[in-house]
Amino acid sequence: MTEAVALRWANKYPELGGDPIPVKPYVSNSVYDEEVEKIFKKTWLKVGRVEEIPKKGDYKVKRLSFAKTSVILIRGKDDVIRGFHNTCSHRGNKVVVETGGDETFGNSKAAVVTCRFHGWVYDAKGDLVDVPEEEKFHPCFAKEDNGLTKIRTEVWEGFIFVNLDTTGTQTVEEYLGDMGNHLSGFPYGQMEDVFAYNTELNCNWKVAHDAFAEAYHVATIHAGSFPNVFGSGLQDLQLLGDHRTAAVCLTNNAKPKPAAALATSMTGASLINFKEKTMLPDSVNPENRKDFAFELTVIFPNILVHISEGLWFTHQFWPMGPDKTRWEGKYYLPKVNTYSERWAQQFAVTLQRNAWLEDTATMEDTQEALESGSKEVMHLQDEEIMLRHGFQVVEKYLKQGAEK
Amino acid sequence: MSLILPKQFEELNAFTEKWAKGTENDRQKARITSTSEELKAFYDAIMPRMKEILEFLDTYEYGKLPEEHQPLYWLAMSLAEVAPHVELYDCDPGVPFAFEEARFVAEHGSQANV
Repeated sequence: MTEAVALRWANKYPELGGDPIPVKPYVSNSVYDEEVEKIFKKTWLKVGRVEEIPKKGDYKVKRLSFAKTSVILIRGKDDVIRGFHNTCSHRGNKVVVETGGDETFGNSKAAVVTCRFHGWVYDAKGDLVDVPEEEKFHPCFAKEDNGLTKIRTEVWEGFIFVNLDTTGTQTVEEYLGDMGNHLSGFPYGQMEDVFAYNTELNCNWKVAHDAFAEAYHVATIHAGSFPNVFGSGLQDLQLLGDHRTAAVCLTNNAKPKPAAALATSMTGASLINFKEKTMLPDSVNPENRKDFAFELTVIFPNILVHISEGLWFTHQFWPMGPDKTRWEGKYYLPKVNTYSERWAQQFAVTLQRNAWLEDTATMEDTQEALESGSKEVMHLQDEEIMLRHGFQVVEKYLKQGAEK
Repeated sequence: MSLILPKQFEELNAFTEKWAKGTENDRQKARITSTSEELKAFYDAIMPRMKEILEFLDTYEYGKLPEEHQPLYWLAMSLAEVAPHVELYDCDPGVPFAFEEARFVAEHGSQANV
């Protein structure tokens, strides 16, 4: 192999260099605090899908523990989804009791939320519409000045994003830039069967993020669930602003065992079998490679969106502390019409779950080992260029503060 | 609920008590708490009948399966849980080299399949 072939991404993006990256950002409390302030409180973060709150008056409360708040996302009578801090304007109780933990769902036919403490009622625009015993408040109190505190909320391709930066003016479409163009038009909303998993990992958010942002690990980590699956490396890599994307190409040389063969004959729900391109955007797998498995896209800072023919999935990493992360993995498939399709779908989902159990297995060990202080840097190979780009984008935000 | 299977699948009645579980969580638990031999015995018994089982289930509109046939459906769903362990993991009841399954939450895991 010539050097030019071996380092094809470094040749395409020489500005990233080839130096090892430091371990410090993965283990430092002060770097974590800076990341929260300068990245997570300044950028657009995906917090849901429109299908999760389909009807007027439906709401979702998503905990954002890095910012010590929760956002109420509520669909109004005008079908607009708006976001508010889940904090009552009276004495600060949570308006919606978060019985679901990190994610709580509910519905109000009147499209209002009511604080259980003293019964203050807010509508879906955040306006305070009813205060019991209002006449007993002092003249300086006015209902119209005491609505819920708004959080900037926008919808792109059915993804609900929030931005905690109250002074920012950039729209989510501007924030996504060319990556928005790259991923738009995929029928996200048509994959109605969702299989979602989550866990709390004792590791830095970047340890979890990095483990999913390269395909170098497939032959080793997934030797169990995806044996004889060979990667031909990333293809069509593009660094687009703060975001990055590439095709993950895999060749499945495993002779299917009986249950796998039966499932594959009934469904396209597995990632590792070739399917003709019918729904992918033009810019994804542009040369229609036969070994294309899925597009791996990192939307900065904390979500990986993967689109494939007939399915898509996401990984998201919520910082909870310097060495604590909530991971959410969601697998989206078309609705099934028969029991046999449902069985085949379950077979594919089970294998995917097991592969994710294999992925998450290394993360806490990685964190512990990094915290030993025995290593100061890590070397990345050319196929790990998305990690290198990620490191440099984080550095940029920490140096400059977030771009408005 | 009766755990008696339709006549043509009666040889699988011995497996219903352990494997006719309606939710992913319960099927996962049944698999983790099994021995390798139990996984293999269940797989070997049901795998040759899977095509017929799915054909039988498909005679009903999806979502309209009579309650009396749910145990058969759930046995099939348990095969989806167990098959990777027999076909790929050398009958290990756990996923080898994996994260702790008990800490991994399936958000749909307690919904019964009907």
